[in-house]
Amino acid sequence: MATNGDQYGELIEAYALGALDPQERASLEAHLASGCPECSKALDEARWLVSQLAYLAPDAKPSELLRGRLFQTVRAEARSAGLAKSSSTIPFWMWGAVAALLLFTVYQAWETSRIRVTIDATKKSAEEEIAKRHELEEKFAIAQREAIILTDPHSVKIPLGTENKEMPKMEAVWHAKFGIVVSGLNVPAPSGTRTLQLWLIPKAKDGKPIPSLTLRPDANGNFVLLVANPPDAMDGTKALAITEEPAGGSQAPTTKPIWVGAIS
Amino acid sequence: MFLALLASLGFGPVKVEVSPDTTLMQDLLRQDVNAFEQLYDRHSRQVYGLVLRILQQASTAEEVVQDVFLQLWRNAAAYDSERGPFVPWLLTLARNRALDQLRLKSERQRRREDQTDELPPVSAAPDYENELDERRRVERVRALMGSLLPQQQRAIELAYFEGLSHTEIAEKLKEPLGTVKSWIRNGLLRLKEGLQTAS
Repeated sequence: MATNGDQYGELIEAYALGALDPQERASLEAHLASGCPECSKALDEARWLVSQLAYLAPDAKPSELLRGRLFQTVRAEARSAGLAKSSSTIPFWMWGAVAALLLFTVYQAWETSRIRVTIDATKKSAEEEIAKRHELEEKFAIAQREAIILTDPHSVKIPLGTENKEMPKMEAVWHAKFGIVVSGLNVPAPSGTRTLQLWLIPKAKDGKPIPSLTLRPDANGNFVLLVANPPDAMDGTKALAITEEPAGGSQAPTTKPIWVGAIS
Repeated sequence: MFLALLASLGFGPVKVEVSPDTTLMQDLLRQDVNAFEQLYDRHSRQVYGLVLRILQQASTAEEVVQDVFLQLWRNAAAYDSERGPFVPWLLTLARNRALDQLRLKSERQRRREDQTDELPPVSAAPDYENELDERRRVERVRALMGSLLPQQQRAIELAYFEGLSHTEIAEKLKEPLGTVKSWIRNGLLRLKEGLQTAS
């Protein structure tokens, strides 16, 4: 111990005894706080030495009342702590059950979600199938109607001729009940967004051409046009004509007819 | 239990295993009531004797003893058996609580307020300390104390049992402060030497 330590070393026993006056106590505590190992060890020994002074006190027996009161308090606290422990402790099997329930719940949620997705997908698919079916039914109905028109012996065939020798001929078939079918092969598409439009030319002397449907041939120049409900009756119509019109068609022909077919 | 049964049938004497204090303190951490009861029955006379010597009043002394043992029960983790023996620590705890009570009672300014709610540190026993039973330990300390000068004994007792400082002791004994300091220091050093020699 250094000289400084010697000075404090003289205070150690009195400090352990609690006999130092405030100033000396504060001074020694500051020195001990600095971590002096010799003084720390000396203090440990001094504390033990002072603790031995307790044996100077005469032995005495506390009352049985104190013993009973103390034991009762401790037992009550132990019971209370035990109850708290047991009430806060969930048995292992319970954790297992909770885990299983949780897993089941998660599985159920996942399954429900999966089923909902499946139902949604199936519903969408069904709707698509129904739409397709409707489309097919419509197509089938149209095809059936076209077939009847084209094959029924009561139908009237109307060849559509053209002045332009480079243009193919077309044909129209008119059934009094099911309508008109107009078909063409290798028909050049009108330029840009322009379209071809069918006209019914009335027999009436001053009758104006009655506008019907518009059409555009496909990439190969083919088309089949069904006019399910002709704007006029066959016996009131003297001819069919096809002109080239702006997109969407016109209420009156804006060009000279390319194809014309008289109804005989 | 089987040995106890043999003893009750007259097949004794039966050697009963005694758990050391440190083991009982470990058991206290698990809220073992039986361990607490053993510790109380083993040390309550010593603790009560010390506290009664300090407070000089049985009812107040019992309150302090109750406080000490309840602290033991509720703060068993505060005792670290690795650091030092149990009994000196328990006695230091009891003395501190008793002196706190004494200062409250006498309405003197409390000089160690910071220690009021704290448990004392556990101090390691010195190298010369041997395992002694309580009776031999008492005899040894009393014999050594009796070998000191009466004024040394008186000064040490005033500091230990009444919690008086050097200055307070000097005033009470009407002796110079330096003399009182010497009495206490020299008396404690003689006590220490005596304990070293005796072991």
